[in-house]
Amino acid sequence: MTSEYSVLIIGYIFGFYMAWNIGANDVANSMASAVGAKAITIRQALFIAGILNVVGAVFIGSHVTDTIRKGIVSTDVLTDPHLALIGALSALLAAALWVSFATWRSLPVSTTHSIVGAMIGFGIMAGGFSVINWGILGAVVLSWIISPVFSLALGFLIFKIIVRLILTRGDPFDRALSLSPWFVGATAFVMVLSFLFKTPLGKTLSLGTPSALLLALLISAALGVAGMKLLKRIIRPKGPHGEEAIFKRIQIATACYVALAQGANDVANAIGPLAVIYFLVKTGGIGAQVPVPTFLLLFGGVGIACGIGMAGHRVMETIGTKITTLTNTRGFSVEFAAATTVLVASKLGLPVSTTHAAVGGVMGVGLARGLAAVNFRIIFQIIIYWVLTVPAAAITSVIIFKILEYFL
Amino acid sequence: MRIPFISMFITSPFDGLLEHAEIIKECTWIFQQAIECHVSKDCRQFEEFRQEVHRLEHDADAVKRRIRGHLPKGTLLQMDKFQLFRYLREQDRVLDSVEETLDWISYRDEPGIPEDFQKDFALLVDAVIEPIEELSTMVSEGRTFFQNFSEKQRVVVKDIIRNLRKHEHEADQLEDRLKRRMFNSDLDPVTIFHMVRLAETIGSIADHAENAGDMMRAMVAK
Repeated sequence: MTSEYSVLIIGYIFGFYMAWNIGANDVANSMASAVGAKAITIRQALFIAGILNVVGAVFIGSHVTDTIRKGIVSTDVLTDPHLALIGALSALLAAALWVSFATWRSLPVSTTHSIVGAMIGFGIMAGGFSVINWGILGAVVLSWIISPVFSLALGFLIFKIIVRLILTRGDPFDRALSLSPWFVGATAFVMVLSFLFKTPLGKTLSLGTPSALLLALLISAALGVAGMKLLKRIIRPKGPHGEEAIFKRIQIATACYVALAQGANDVANAIGPLAVIYFLVKTGGIGAQVPVPTFLLLFGGVGIACGIGMAGHRVMETIGTKITTLTNTRGFSVEFAAATTVLVASKLGLPVSTTHAAVGGVMGVGLARGLAAVNFRIIFQIIIYWVLTVPAAAITSVIIFKILEYFL
Repeated sequence: MRIPFISMFITSPFDGLLEHAEIIKECTWIFQQAIECHVSKDCRQFEEFRQEVHRLEHDADAVKRRIRGHLPKGTLLQMDKFQLFRYLREQDRVLDSVEETLDWISYRDEPGIPEDFQKDFALLVDAVIEPIEELSTMVSEGRTFFQNFSEKQRVVVKDIIRNLRKHEHEADQLEDRLKRRMFNSDLDPVTIFHMVRLAETIGSIADHAENAGDMMRAMVAK
């Protein structure tokens, strides 16, 4: 039994390491456009991201997690508790190592895809190729294409609308203010829907799609009108860039939302396998789902926050100095496109990452001639790492599995 | 550190254009002083002014090369790349013409301009001074346009371009008149040749400024 407890301790270490990496790697992608557009400072971004990730993880994060992330591998492989223990450990460490490597090399990879890849490696070792759910793997591959393309189209469209309806008009500030209920409302609509569909807390309300849509519509209409009233009150200056000041406020709201949703969703990437280990050690067996104690969620949330706090600053500073041409209207377009893409894609059952969607959004705004200069060739480099993520995590997982099997 | 997400964003080429235009603006005063010095016949500082312009031209060339060299293939700009490079070329030629004017003056040991032509030369220099200065204003207003896409801002840029055109027209007429008078004067042929070429190079400053304006007009076109 002592050996099992030492496994649990190792699991905690690996889990924390994974959570730390999620924080370090993802913070740039969720906060980049807000910091780049100077909607919030670096310090504020780190603070918001850290706090809201913990809050999101603990209060919205799921108290029940799938044993196998996204059901990529059939649960048959879990029948042998010893094998399952080794598998969860190796998957956790493999994903963490890959994300760590990506953070070190400053590559935006998807932490979800990393854990999915690592699970595949474990599945192949435990049950052969037949246990892998190829349909899910196909969805992962599809998401590499769909999420950036969809986000690109949306970013392009949103920015074009802003240009046509606000920027080119005689008094852009007044136009922006009178149209603000639509923009605030649309943002609120996406946020409420993703809250209802995507977050575990929203799922427990178990609203049907029509009633969720209706609820979101009502809330966003109310928020849109209230938002305009609030904007009218707080924004006085009609300086040369009054319209940007309006979008700055909306951008802060989206940045907060992204941080919250990230904490709620991504904490499972680190805590899911850890919960499996915890449960195996405590009870000796598991099914398709395991309950996640609140302290584990807090543990994961704090781990993410630590990653943000320690590694985020370096990333944020680079963003603040390098992205100088992003204004609030552009930043809003990118964020809105990314958030909507993540919502739509996950509703379709595709495992997307915010990173992929954000990159697509930037390209869309660039194609709408909104950015001074966008390097499109970088996209190939980014795509290579997206594609590499799954096999790299899988192979690492196989190697670690072999090593652990020898020792345990 | 290189982050692909951030590497997507390339520094605005307008930063470089503005820097380039600011250097040109620095030449305005020196150019004016140098010409006045040349006209006054009793000129000692001319060589200093010329060297200063040479130095600035060298700096501007470095900026120009940096702009051209730092736009990787596959970069999407707000305007066509050829428009940007064409604009840069014309803006650079404004400075080249300023330099050439001072060089041309320096080739002849005998300084000064016959009194009869001094007033017209002063007018010609006045007509090209403003275009040299206006370039940096045009670039910075152009950059603002590409940020806010406001119709008002487009008009601001177009007004500057119109102004450049007006000055070019003025300079053209002055150059014409000067040349006509020179050839019909009884000065020695060497002086006439020197002055004709001088009037032409000064006039070309306004020409290139106008061309730069035309390229900017194409960039801000709907």
